[in-house]
Formats: sequence, structure tokens, C-alpha cells
Amino acid sequence: MLGKVFGVLCLISLITAILSGNVVSLGSAVLDGARSALDVSLSLCGMMCLWCGILEVLRRAGWIDKLSRLLSPLLRLIFPNAYRTKHGIREISACISANLLGIGNAATPFALSAMEEMQKDNPDKEKAGDEQITFAVLNTASLTLLPANLLALRRAAGSDRPYAILIPVWITSLACTAVALLLTSLPRLLRLPLSGKGARTAAKRRRR
Amino acid sequence: MGETIAALSVPLVVSLAGLLMLFGKQDYFSAFIQGATDGLKTLVRLLPTLCALLVAVSMLSASGAVELISRLLSPVASLIGLPTELLPFLLTRAFSGSASTAAFTDLLSHVGADSLAGLCASVIFGSSDTLVYILSVYFSSVGIRKTRHAFPCALATMLFCIFFSCFLCRLWFF
Repeated sequence: MLGKVFGVLCLISLITAILSGNVVSLGSAVLDGARSALDVSLSLCGMMCLWCGILEVLRRAGWIDKLSRLLSPLLRLIFPNAYRTKHGIREISACISANLLGIGNAATPFALSAMEEMQKDNPDKEKAGDEQITFAVLNTASLTLLPANLLALRRAAGSDRPYAILIPVWITSLACTAVALLLTSLPRLLRLPLSGKGARTAAKRRRR
Repeated sequence: MGETIAALSVPLVVSLAGLLMLFGKQDYFSAFIQGATDGLKTLVRLLPTLCALLVAVSMLSASGAVELISRLLSPVASLIGLPTELLPFLLTRAFSGSASTAAFTDLLSHVGADSLAGLCASVIFGSSDTLVYILSVYFSSVGIRKTRHAFPCALATMLFCIFFSCFLCRLWFF
């Protein structure tokens, strides 16, 4: 899937660069992009080490378990499989708590550990599992109590009421989370494999 | 006040781990080292994906495609009641955190943070995320190539987010 995204982005850039005469800057942009991959990973590197280390400490102390028990009424509905096998449910609760507390840069390391744990129960290692998809899409709806970054940007832009958007942001985040949940669980609820190939093999299996 | 709480939450959680290392009965520091090492391994698996993604995004922002597509789409946007100033921000939001933050600050400085477009953009900024980045990083870190319905669902959620925020801002502020 990422291959398609890459291809589409490259094609769009190439065509528009030729149309608007930006071909020269396109060449240096490729090199810039490759270098910024290293910049991003370097800054991610410290975050990954710090937060994965702290997650492991809190997990061994049993605090993440307490946290996931606190969140379990919600999580057992959204991630029934992870809840049953206990693979990933702790990391998911840590990720949700980090998001709610506004520790955004801890959410990525926690989420990646959650994906890794959920991968243990994934029958096809190259194909995304239902709950992995739900988890990933839920994270794109970014439920945060205090979006510190946004408030700082609004204050810097000279807003009289930087906090005025807080309640609309909460309402929108909640609505988006509900929509994401509904959309990603539709295939699971209907038991319909969406991709064509999956549908065909499922049909074949049924015939046998 | 709110920002102080947000700023305090990170040191608090870190100090919590520190307290455990001080007074805990197990060897919590070696637990930290082990977790950190695992995190590092995940990151190494991620670097090739990040490279491909960031090259594509960098090409996109250098090519002028965002300005061109914004100009093409602005009649459509004004037809459905979307503030046209939002387009450059909306088009980059899904791909790149840095590009969309730049577009967001640019937008706020042009139309004002408390105008309709500024408020809509703020709500969208707070309730959506860079979905292409998130999905590709999450799935490639565990070696998943077939993402099935993840991208369509995330895109649909983001579209819903855009229209819902504009609708809500009109109701809420005006």
C-alpha cells in the first residue's frame, strides 16, 4: 500500500513540477528528503529509547496492568481478541493514557510496541489484522485532552482566545474516534473480507 | 494553567520510573535498558520506510503541487462551504507534520487565529493527525505489507473530521 502512496506522490510531484517550472528544485528535494529521514529517525531515536524503557519499567512494576484493568470495560469491546490473549492490551492502554495526558511523543513508541504485541496473534504476518487496523486508524483521530502544541501555535499567532477551540476539538475528536471505530469494525461486523483476493480465498475455503 | 499541567506530565511519568528504580525491589534499571534496546531495534526496521515516505513528501512540497491543486480545488471548496484558505493546510495534513504545521502558521498569520478559517483550521489541527505517516510507520514496523482497509478508513475519517469541524465552528462561534 505504501508503494502506491509513494508512486502517486512521485507522479503528482513530477507532473506539477514540469507544469510550473520547478524541475530544478525537485532534484534537490529528493536529496533533502533522504537526509531528513535521518534527522527524523535521530530525533525519534531518543524518544523510542526513553519511552520504551520507561514502559518496560512500569510494566514490570505491574502498573501498566492496573491501568489496563481500569480501561478494560472499554478495551474489551474495541479489542476483544487482544483482550482475550493479553497480547498488546497493556501497550494499548499505555498508548491511550499517553495520548490523554498529552505526552504525544510517548504515544508513538507505545503504539509501536502495541502493534508488535498484536502481531503475535496475527495469523498472516504480512497482512494487517482487524484489531491492528482499528488501533492504527483510531490513532489517526488523535484524542488529546490538552493539545499543547496547538495552543502554543495559536498563542504565537496572536490569538485573543487560544483556549476557545478546546471544547470543539474534544467534540470533534470524539466524533472522529466514533466514526473511525464504526468504519474499521464494519468489515469485522459483517464478516466481509474487503480485499478481492481475500474474498476469493475465503470463498474457496468455504467450498472445500 | 492547562499548559503547565501538560508540561508537567512528562517529567512526572519519568520521575515515577526513577522512584521505582530507587525504592523498587527488582532491578528496574536493567528493565529500562532492555525496553530501550527493543525500541531501538524497532526504529532500525523503520528507517527505510521513513526514507521513502520523506523523499516523496519532500518532492511533493518542492514541486508546487500543493499550491496548484489548491487553486484548482478552490471553486469546489467555496461551493461546498469550505473556507478556501484552508486548502494548502488540508492537502498537507495527511502527509507531513512539519509541512502542515508550516501551512497552519501561515494560515493563522494571514487570516487571523480567531477568524472562521483560523478556528476551523485549529479544530482540524487538534483532532486529526498525519495519517499516511502514522499508518505506514505502524504497519511497516511489524513488517505488514497488506494494509487492507486501513487507508480508506483513515481517509474517510479525516474527510469526516474536516466537514464536521467546519460545521461545528460555524455553530459554535458564529
